[in-house]
Amino acid sequence: MASAPSKLYADDVSLLVVLLDANPFFWSASSLPFSKFISHVISFLNSVLLLNQLNQIVVIATGHNCCDYVYDSSSPASRSAGTGKLSALSVDLLEKLEEFVCRDEKLLKKEPEGSIASSLLSGSLSMALCYIQRVFRSGPRHPHPRILCLHGSQDGPEQYVAIMNAIFSAQRSMVPIDSCFIGAQNSAFLQQASYITGGVYLKPQLLEGTFQYLSTVFGTDLHSRGFLQLPKSVGVDFRASCFCHKKTIDMGYICSVCLSIFCKHHKKCSTCGSVFGQPHSEAASEPNKKRKAGDT
Amino acid sequence: MPQVKIIARNFMDMVAALPAMKLDQLYQNAFICEAILRSLPPLAKKYVIQMLYIEEAVTTKSIEEWVLPDGLSKHKVAIDRLLQLRIFSEAFDRSSGTSYRLNPTFQSNLQKHITCGGVLPREPMPSSITARLPSLEDLAVFAFALEQWECFLLQLINSTQAEKMTNISPSMMRIFQRGLLTQRDKEPPRLTESGFQFLLMDTNAQLWYIIREYISNSEERDVDSADLISFLLELSFHATGEAYNMNTLTEVQRNTLKDLADLGLVKLQQGRKESWFIPTKLTTNLSVSLTDSSSRKEGFVVVETNFRIYAYSTSKLHCEILRLFSRIEYQLPNLIVGAITKESLYNAFDNGITADQIISFLQQNAHPRVAERVPSVPENVTDQIRLWESDLNRVEMTPAHFYDEFPTRDVFEAACDFAREYGGLLWEDSKKMRLVVKTDVHMHMREHLRRQRQ
Repeated sequence: MASAPSKLYADDVSLLVVLLDANPFFWSASSLPFSKFISHVISFLNSVLLLNQLNQIVVIATGHNCCDYVYDSSSPASRSAGTGKLSALSVDLLEKLEEFVCRDEKLLKKEPEGSIASSLLSGSLSMALCYIQRVFRSGPRHPHPRILCLHGSQDGPEQYVAIMNAIFSAQRSMVPIDSCFIGAQNSAFLQQASYITGGVYLKPQLLEGTFQYLSTVFGTDLHSRGFLQLPKSVGVDFRASCFCHKKTIDMGYICSVCLSIFCKHHKKCSTCGSVFGQPHSEAASEPNKKRKAGDT
Repeated sequence: MPQVKIIARNFMDMVAALPAMKLDQLYQNAFICEAILRSLPPLAKKYVIQMLYIEEAVTTKSIEEWVLPDGLSKHKVAIDRLLQLRIFSEAFDRSSGTSYRLNPTFQSNLQKHITCGGVLPREPMPSSITARLPSLEDLAVFAFALEQWECFLLQLINSTQAEKMTNISPSMMRIFQRGLLTQRDKEPPRLTESGFQFLLMDTNAQLWYIIREYISNSEERDVDSADLISFLLELSFHATGEAYNMNTLTEVQRNTLKDLADLGLVKLQQGRKESWFIPTKLTTNLSVSLTDSSSRKEGFVVVETNFRIYAYSTSKLHCEILRLFSRIEYQLPNLIVGAITKESLYNAFDNGITADQIISFLQQNAHPRVAERVPSVPENVTDQIRLWESDLNRVEMTPAHFYDEFPTRDVFEAACDFAREYGGLLWEDSKKMRLVVKTDVHMHMREHLRRQRQ
């Protein structure tokens, strides 16, 4: 699948929507402490605001059970000057982040089974895209938006459908999704997202230098990206997860009406209701006959 | 017709022209570092941020590897700019070649700014005191700035339309008008070509031009230009609409503020004990780089395919500007109706305005209703304006010399070849053995012919 065509921009004003992973299960087990990580991120965000007077930043925290906005540089409530030891952005961001984490904790119903404790990436991606849509509709003169995912938790296969939908709508609106993945193994979802929307996926090797990675790769506006050497994607994992059990699969059954993916043969498609015919053996390559809903 | 262009030179060119010691002194102020960073081309900004925490010098080759091959020209521009502003210092080492390093003061200031944020040297006034005077909300502050600026511009072009005079001293005005107006004896001052082009520039560019003149003139008034520049840049980081106390300012800065108030950049107010100033939108625009070509203000001009212009504006300045190249037909309370005609355009071209300037003015000030349409100005209008301009340029003149009466055909052929080698042959007539050669080749041609004769 070819990656998205990108719009041509004339100036370097950018709107950066940052999706910050605030999943307590991931951070408690991570080698890099959250406090150090946040200080890198805040320095990076300050440097983005420094580059152009009109740059805007929105930070959305991705928790285990919910997502919420924790910082918006264009809102009138954000401070204009810092206290001398901390910048204005830090004070606002850290306050809201604390409140968010408390709220997230309250919503926890039960401990997650096994080691997969994923955060709600689909929720925060959707929120980011809604915000960007609002910016698009605010008039012809708006900064050029892009999404940056600072993520570490593993992929939750149950979010596959929602995340792919979000990725395709980002592709449609020509909003690149960059990802800086700080977890252990590569995230297939984020790799696909960056590949499809024309963004950059990076898994930094030295986490102590996160600021340097962020400012080198993700700091540039969309206009200058055309001239820079950025990390190219190598080996994207395109595996899908099935709709019935949310397992990751390589081969499966696909409904020819709505393209839903199943790992086992079903009598009826759960998404669009089409009725399937008899399964053929795997050796034969004849297509299954599918009839529209209503026939038996 | 010679094309004269006033280049709205970026403020930063002025800063770059300061002597090295003064520039290093300027960098000790964190806000100036920020302002200068904002004015760099985008690629240069990226390099600075990338090198922010690198202590050692980075070789030129490594930096070139950051860019794709088709970005090399931009890369060169960025590096030149950084060297010019002394943000990058160059070092040469025999083994590794040239390498660059960030200016240490600049670097540490920016590092501090990123981690701790910046604190302005002046505190905002508590609202209990400012509330006693009629408070100026955002819109009112903006209206004030606009009014002052327009009044100033009208006075600048010596228009009789200016309703009230600003408080700027006549000598100051003359300095601003230098280059924009000419005065011949017994005649009222007329706008020069540069003056016309100045009027058609957008507000930011005009602002920079005026500030530049103000600063270049400061030396004559015994004000150190570096101090003035640092004060102006600091001002641009104040929040619009907030009142700031004047008690921390020096005498020089207070005088500067008075001048700036006349231009509409700040509003001065006096309380019972203290006085304060309120920066307007024009001040914060001081740090917007001129590379940001899209001016983000509301347009007001609608151009239709029948060459009529409808400008939804009450400003006399806009009327004057439109009068430069179109025929104004009616002036209604909120609307100016005009038409672009051949005569009005010829008038404009005579005054030195180019078609491109007129078209870019119309495009940049397009009313929001038509701004979203592509193109915002109808193509038949833009094409016609360009055609009328090229009408005046039908004849191209090159200084040349005419050679006649060659003795033999061989000499003629030799002369032709010679001229062709030097790229100076403009016209030849083999039958009558006549030749027209460019003036710069004329001397060589004479030598050649003399040698031929011997």
